[in-house]
Amino acid sequence: MGAKGAFLESRPLNPMKWFPFAEASGSLHPIVIESRHPSGAKVQIGGTRFMAPLLAFSRFVDWINQNIGKVCDWLVLLAVLVSSVNAMMRYGFDISSNAWLELQWYMYAAIVMLGASYTLKRNEHVRVDILYMMLSRRGQIQLDIAGIIVFLLPACILIGWLSWPFFYQSFHMNEWSSNAGGLLRWPVKFLIPLGFGLLTLQGISELIKRVAALRGYDIPDLEAHYERPVQ
Amino acid sequence: MIPLEWMPALMFAGLVVFLIIGFPVAFSLASVGLFFGMISMAQGFFTIDFMQAIPGRIFGSILANDLLLAIPFFTLMGAILEKCGLAEDMLESMGQLFGPMKGGLGYSVIIVGFILGAITGTVAAQVIAMALITMPVMMRYNYNIRYATGVLAASGTITQLVPPSLVLVVLADQLGRSVGDMYLGAWGPSLLQIALFALYTWFITIIRPQDLPPVPRTLTGRPLLIKCMWGIIPAGVLIFLVLGTIMLGLATPTEAGALGTVGAIILAVLRNTQMTKMDKTAYAAGLVAVAGCLVAAYTVGMKTVPFRISFSVFFASVIWLCWRAWQDKPLHDLIVEGMRATMRITSMVAFIVVGATCFSIVFAGVDGNLWVEHGLTSLPGGVWGFLIAVNLLVFFLAFFLDFFEIAFIIVPMLAPVAQKVLEPVVGADAALIWFGVMLCVNMQTSFMHPPFGFALFYLRSVIPKSISSADIYWGALPWVGLQLIMVAIVIFMPITVTFFLDKPHGIDPSTIRIESAPPVEEDDMPPPSFGPPR
Repeated sequence: MGAKGAFLESRPLNPMKWFPFAEASGSLHPIVIESRHPSGAKVQIGGTRFMAPLLAFSRFVDWINQNIGKVCDWLVLLAVLVSSVNAMMRYGFDISSNAWLELQWYMYAAIVMLGASYTLKRNEHVRVDILYMMLSRRGQIQLDIAGIIVFLLPACILIGWLSWPFFYQSFHMNEWSSNAGGLLRWPVKFLIPLGFGLLTLQGISELIKRVAALRGYDIPDLEAHYERPVQ
Repeated sequence: MIPLEWMPALMFAGLVVFLIIGFPVAFSLASVGLFFGMISMAQGFFTIDFMQAIPGRIFGSILANDLLLAIPFFTLMGAILEKCGLAEDMLESMGQLFGPMKGGLGYSVIIVGFILGAITGTVAAQVIAMALITMPVMMRYNYNIRYATGVLAASGTITQLVPPSLVLVVLADQLGRSVGDMYLGAWGPSLLQIALFALYTWFITIIRPQDLPPVPRTLTGRPLLIKCMWGIIPAGVLIFLVLGTIMLGLATPTEAGALGTVGAIILAVLRNTQMTKMDKTAYAAGLVAVAGCLVAAYTVGMKTVPFRISFSVFFASVIWLCWRAWQDKPLHDLIVEGMRATMRITSMVAFIVVGATCFSIVFAGVDGNLWVEHGLTSLPGGVWGFLIAVNLLVFFLAFFLDFFEIAFIIVPMLAPVAQKVLEPVVGADAALIWFGVMLCVNMQTSFMHPPFGFALFYLRSVIPKSISSADIYWGALPWVGLQLIMVAIVIFMPITVTFFLDKPHGIDPSTIRIESAPPVEEDDMPPPSFGPPR
């Protein structure tokens, strides 16, 4: 009996396990990193009351996109396998199907549309960095905040909105590929509004993190450092 | 009210301003397009229906694009090859082979740079690998430091130009030409480029022999031969897998990338893991089966039982070796790390195209293409004036734009004009190939010129701190000069590009042509046009 009790006791209900995004990964206590008061006194603006729920939302979005990003990682390898096996089958055994050919670019489409938000989280979308590199870390964060509000969010919302009818039309008529043996077409069209939706969410999350960082919060998830991608 | 004639110029200015701010290019591009699209709608130049073309174009020419699908494949292949020691082996054997000549190490770096470029090649991987191995030797034998850094950076960069470079694939896509033709066109300039490099090295050995002293061999005879074979044969097999299959029309460039990745994984297994008896058997069986396939294909044909049996054996052997790669912990980690980086790079690159698509749809809507055409055709000097102006433009843009940005933003604007202007010189088919290869040669310089040249950054990160950055910068200059001479050669001697194109090359280019650029308004994507080459 005691053993059973101990067994139960040893596994306390841990909501954090199921909702890892709820786990505070950064300090919620404002840390003043920089003084902004003209007198030079360290000032602390805002409190945790306002930022905490926003940061929780930001962690939730990050968590979603991170996991979607992981799926996309595997799609790269799967696409390689499908493409190479398909090519070998065609020459070795004269077996070919449009379904396999289409599956390749379906996966590629998923990598592009769904991986973009994780790439944004990692701050790996390429920039023209001549001026950007001259800015202080603080200046870079401010530039990003302006950029997200002026460029990223409007563009993503607008394209997402434009692409909805494009998907819905296909969905409504239950569109299939026009190739013999092809795949159902609307899921891949759905990737466009979905991708831009996720990107909008991630943009909001990045915005929250950057605003919080400016207000003195310590945000370990913030990839403010930018490096040009390797070519 | 803004007159329609002003819109393209305003858009172009907006593009420059929005990009230079430093926000990620993909989103800046998209918003500059959408922003001017909104203005145009307010002015009544077009309606919202016109903007509705954007999702269709994103879908049709980016997501359903079989050529851009090659990006993740080539990237992953590069990531795996970078770590599997192929560059090291080739450099060591070439260094042994050419070492005793004056400037021998220089020649070996140039040759290895070219061969590695013909397999895959990211500039980063190539420069780093070559510098790590060669630089210590060069320093020990008192090579001139500026020469050493220059030759390493330049030979690493040439991978951009040597087929099957990703740059050529992307340019082929943007110019709407076949990748196979693009490759054929690039052979001439890339061979000439290394010839120029070698010539320069030889020239230095004449005027300043003390700068490039000979290095004695440590291996001779049979061990040297084995070392050379071990360096060359795997490279040869991979070159065949990637380039051979494209040139023979056996695979599309995309599939060749995938096959090359599998080849790279197998190569990594053969070199880095402890092979069990089973592995060796599988490997040997695979080799025998390849020979069997070739014999069967040439004697009884491909759709016969003997061919299929040997192919099955080969297939099984490949699967076994790939499975072994997966079981090997370091290799497994390498592949996983590679695919992560690949995912982000693919998404990043494709999103530049998404942004560029938003821009170019609106730009075309306000007659921007006519504006560019008018501006470029009214230049003095006709064809040569046009080419020189365009190349100067690209050369200076390359100071602060990446290759991908130039390819996706600038090239689509220039392509229609280039087709029209260059047609009288080399004919309709070759015009854009010539143009594309020329831009490709030109864009090499973007890796090389101080202060933003990437090859120089990579070099800086791996060579000893005792070498000053000034030496790296000065060392790079003559090689930038050589690259520019090459641009001039390509401009004034189109034969360097068209030479291989005009010759009958045994295959019908149409079998490997992949048409991109599907119709804009069409909802349904065109069928994937890379059916089995017949």
